[in-house]
This record gives sequence, C-alpha cells and structure tokens, in this order.
Amino acid sequence: MGASQRILAVGLSHHTAPVEVRERVSMDESAVRRTLSRLRSDGAVDEVMVLSTCNRMELYGTVTNEDALRAFFGQFRGPAGERIDPYLYWYRDREAVHHLFKVASSLDSLVLGEPQILGQVKEAVRLAEEETSLGKVLHPLARRTLSVAKRVRSETDIGRSRVGIGNAGVDLAMQIFGGLAGKKAMLVGVGEMGRQVAQALMTAGLDELLIANRTFERSVEFAEETGATPVPYERLQDYLARADIVLAATGAQKPIITQDMVRTSLRQRRYHTVFLIDLSVPRNIEASVDDLEEAYLFNIDDLSQVVEEGRKAREEAAHAAEALVREEAERFLQSLRTVDVNDDLRRVMQSAELMRKAELERSVKLTRALEPKQLKSLDALTKALVKKVLHRQMMAIREAAREGDLERVKILLEPWEEEP
Amino acid sequence: MVEEGVERLPYIVVIAAWAYVTVGHLLPEVMGARLAERTRAVAVFAAAVHVLALVVGAVASPHPVGLPEAISAMSLGLGVAYVWLAQRQLRAVGMLLAPLALVLLGTALVVPHHSVTALEETGYSAWLPIHLGLIFSGLAGFAVSSVVGLMFLYVRKNLKEKRFSAITRLPSLEVLDRFQFRAMLFGFVFLTLGIGAGGAWAAASLADPWAFDPKIAFTLLIWAWYGAALQVRLVSGRRGRWTALFSIVGFAGLVFSMVGLNFLLSGWHSYGG
Repeated sequence: MGASQRILAVGLSHHTAPVEVRERVSMDESAVRRTLSRLRSDGAVDEVMVLSTCNRMELYGTVTNEDALRAFFGQFRGPAGERIDPYLYWYRDREAVHHLFKVASSLDSLVLGEPQILGQVKEAVRLAEEETSLGKVLHPLARRTLSVAKRVRSETDIGRSRVGIGNAGVDLAMQIFGGLAGKKAMLVGVGEMGRQVAQALMTAGLDELLIANRTFERSVEFAEETGATPVPYERLQDYLARADIVLAATGAQKPIITQDMVRTSLRQRRYHTVFLIDLSVPRNIEASVDDLEEAYLFNIDDLSQVVEEGRKAREEAAHAAEALVREEAERFLQSLRTVDVNDDLRRVMQSAELMRKAELERSVKLTRALEPKQLKSLDALTKALVKKVLHRQMMAIREAAREGDLERVKILLEPWEEEP
Repeated sequence: MVEEGVERLPYIVVIAAWAYVTVGHLLPEVMGARLAERTRAVAVFAAAVHVLALVVGAVASPHPVGLPEAISAMSLGLGVAYVWLAQRQLRAVGMLLAPLALVLLGTALVVPHHSVTALEETGYSAWLPIHLGLIFSGLAGFAVSSVVGLMFLYVRKNLKEKRFSAITRLPSLEVLDRFQFRAMLFGFVFLTLGIGAGGAWAAASLADPWAFDPKIAFTLLIWAWYGAALQVRLVSGRRGRWTALFSIVGFAGLVFSMVGLNFLLSGWHSYGG
C-alpha cells in the first residue's frame, strides 16, 4: 500500500549549524546530481530531491532504508573531524511537508521573506526532475510547494518590504515616485551609508547617479567603481536642480545644503518633487528643507524607522503565512492519501471482477444451454451484486483514508492482499 | 414619469455588490483574503448590472431624468472609474471610491423624484441624454479626482510626519498626482462639452435662453474654478497638494450645487413641485 511510504526531510540550516559546518556539506550542481543517483542506487530512498544553498543543505525523499540514509549523512565531517549528526534535523510526513513549504515560502530564511529561496527550490526540483528522482509522491509535492510559495507571496505581505538601510531608501523613493525609471540621483560625499543607498537605488532601476565630492579625485574613483557620473562639487547648486533624489553623506560639520538652495532648485525644476536623504551626523541638509512644499527630507533616524517598520510588517506577515502554510501542508497530505487508496481500490475492484468472471464461467459451463439473452442478464445480475456488496467496504476504506487512519486502511484492505 | 422613482430591484443588487466591494476593502479580514481579492470582478458585475438597469429603465420609461437618475449615473461613473483604476497601481483608491459609489446609489434610491421645470417647457428632446451624459461624465471625473486627491493628501501627510507604518502599501505620490490630474482634465473637458450642449439646446428651444438660472451660474463658477486649477498646474507647475486641494474644494462645491441649489433656489433646472 503506497500510502504508508513516509516522506522524510533531513538536513541542516543556519538555524542549526554554523557556517564552518555548512560549507563542508554544501553541494554544487554536479554533487547534487551524484547524490541523487547514488542514494537511489544504494536503495536508501525511492524518490529524492536535494536543496543546497549557502544557508542550508536538505534532502527530501520517500525513504526505503533509513539506515542507508544515516550512513550517507554519516560520511560528512565537521571542521574538527566530528560527525555532523548533532546539527541534523529529521522531519517526517506532516512535519517534512510543512518544513518544505516553509522553506520555499521564505519563512525559514535568515532574512524573512527574501525572494531568492524560491528560485533555489525551483532549481532543486529541476535537478531532481532531470535525474528522474521525483515520483508519485515528490512530484506532486514539488508542484504544490511552488504554488504554496506563490500563494504566500501574493496573499501575505511577507515579501513586500525589504531589508537594510539601502532598501529603506528605495522603499521611500517608491512611495514618492512609484518607480525610478527616468529618475536622477545625486550623491554628495562618498560616506559608506550614502554608497549603500545609492547602490540600492541603482539596482532598483535609477536612470543616472551623479556624484559630487569635495575632493574631485575621490568622486572619479567612486564613479569608476559604480558607473556614476562625477560632477564638480563647486557647482552643487546647478546640479541640485537636476536631481530628483539627493543623498548627503559627507563629514561636513554644518549643513551644506540649505533651505534656500533647495527653494531655488525647486523653482528651476518647475516644482517637480525632490526627495532628499541626509545620511550624515551632524546633518548635512537643513531640517527646514522639509517645510518646502515639494521637498521630502528624511534623515538617518527616519530611515532606521522605515527599516524597523519593515521588520515588524514582515513578522506580522510571517504569522499569517505560517497559518497558511500549515493549512496547505494538511491539505497536501490529505490529497496524497486519497490518491494512494485510489490505486488500492482499483486493485480490489479488479480482483473482485476476476472472481466474478471465473464464477460466472463455471456456472455457465454447468448449466450449458443458456440463451444469449439469459446470459446477458446473468452477467448484469452478478455485476450489480458484486458492486453492491463491495460498495460499503469501499466507502469505509475511503473514509479511513480521508481521516488519515492508515492502520484502519490496512486492516480493511487485508482480505484483498494477494497471496504471496 | 415614474413617480415611485427608478425600478428598484436591480439597483438593490448593485448596492449589495458595492457593499461587498466596500467590505472587501475596508475589512478584508471579515471575508478572508481570497474573497476580498475578488472585489474587481464584483465591481465589474455591479457596473454591468447598473448599465443594464439604466438601459432597461430608459426603454421602459422614455425620459427618465431627475435627481435620482443623475445621482445614480454619477455612482455608475465612479463604478466605471473603480473598474478602471483597480487593475492599476491604484487599488487603494478603491477603498474610497467603492463606499462613495455605494452611498451615492443609496441616496439615488431615496431622494424624491420630480421632473425638471425646463423640461415642461421644451418637452423631451434628444439633447437631454447628450447634455446629461456629458455633464455627469464630467462630474464623475471630478469625483474621482477629489477622491484620488484625498488619498494624495493622506500619503503626503504620512511622509511629511514620518509615519511609515503604511509605507509601500499605498500608491505613490507621483502616481496619485498623475491620476488626480488626468481625472480632473477628463472632468473639465466633459463638463465644457456638457455646458456647450446645454447652451445649444437652450438656444434652440427656450423662449429666453439667457434668463438667469442659479444652477447655470453656479456651474459656470465651478467650471471657472477647475479651469483655474488646471491653469495653476500647467502654467506655474505647482501640482501635488495644490491640485488636490483645488479638486476637493471644487467637488464639495459641486455636490452643493447638485443637491442644495435644486431645492433652495428656483430656475430652469430646479425640480418643480
């Protein structure tokens, strides 16, 4: 009976193992392929897939020989030559499915909601598919995993806000401009924070980055690294009018961008919105700039607050997502069970049909001279009889399967087991 | 004329649909995320039933005009705007449009129905649906503009006061600003055409087309107000909050003219009684 085959998830992740261990078990594509075929030829697993990222190495499979699987994990060694068993977790059935759904939905990630993991899971599925190591359990499981991850992404806010000061700047820019295509930013100074935000803006699709630094050489250096355009610091006022986004990150001890300067630049740019981020302490942009109608000024504390709000939102979303994933895991196991007894029920029907045919033939032989019409009605009668007698039993098996009561399913199916 | 007002049943269906959409926006947890996601489909249904009811109503009673129909048409305009906006980045605006459409349609069903005075002089004319259609398309545009404007002010206030709890969940300032402007421009163009059509009709059929009518005077005032709003935006470049405030004040004036003037003052457009 297929339903008794257990789904197992074994592995380690950043939750259980330090990087020194993780780097030793991490596998590249060819290692994953080799592992998949080896575990199957060893008879350890029936179906299997392996997910290996920098934060985790996990194996999902339907296990036929757990000792062989333990032996496989037994060959890995930690940095001091020790076995890695203490770092491993073993999840079975419901917990295994639940874990995979969580991983793919980025609920188990170092950074909640980070989007890369789904791609990595897809890759693991692709490799397993190519090695033909997915079967009637893992195949639907893999498919469902991807759809659950998509559902979590679209129905919860888990992936909505991003992590880090740089992305907080991008979030603010998005709230103001809706998109960064066609937008220009100017970075004043080359402080670390400023670079981070500028980099994040570039990644998010900024059109052009200008860089103005007191020492021009450093702007040129930075520009060469990042593809920004260096502009002379002395002409700050002129370039201010061209920038939709202004990032200030210098070591200056007093404001270098004043309210008057921004007022002038707003007039020059016909009151198109300007978004300013002051990443320096002491501040480089006069706070009163924010009083101007079309200027939106944020300082380093504001950005930290955005980061904090993002974290809170992700945590709340993770809660909702957790419930969703749990429910989906339950649903998946349910469907798996139903599919599995379907095969068994078909087999029962077939052997009942064989018996009926044999009995019918025998009685036809005995009675001999039967009209075709009589023969036909006899056939129909026996068919209906068998169907009726079996019906209740079938229902009982289905019911037990739906409730996941594998023991009862087994007992009910016992009379139909073929003689060895 | 249908003294008992419009045929109610289809409108009650439409109201129920808008109530669903409203709840879907404001209290999504009440119906669950999956159902709340279907608001757009339900809105399409509501608008379709509404159009159907209007057409059937128009065929059944050949000149259905009066305050209820006017308000109902405006509710339809908002419904169409909702369907249009809900598939863009402006889903959040729906949380204001849906209840407004709901309230307007509810109002349309309860306000008393009287015939317009001028119609008693001119009788029914093909000008009537043209005049009304243009004017109310314009008004729906202004309604959308003011709703989007309200949202703009809210998002702006959040940013200026450094409140970030709703960040990235609401439409961006620039998108809101663009839409409040487009809706206003749409409204202005259609109001202008509607006034023109009304003028042509009056000149063709009324004995004294230039007689003073408070509604016309007020409508021209509103037209000038929106004209000024567009002027400020296009000539001096001040957009954002300026456009939003013009839009909100303008629409408040409009509602006053539509509901208030018809009852308070008398003229062609007043409802006889």
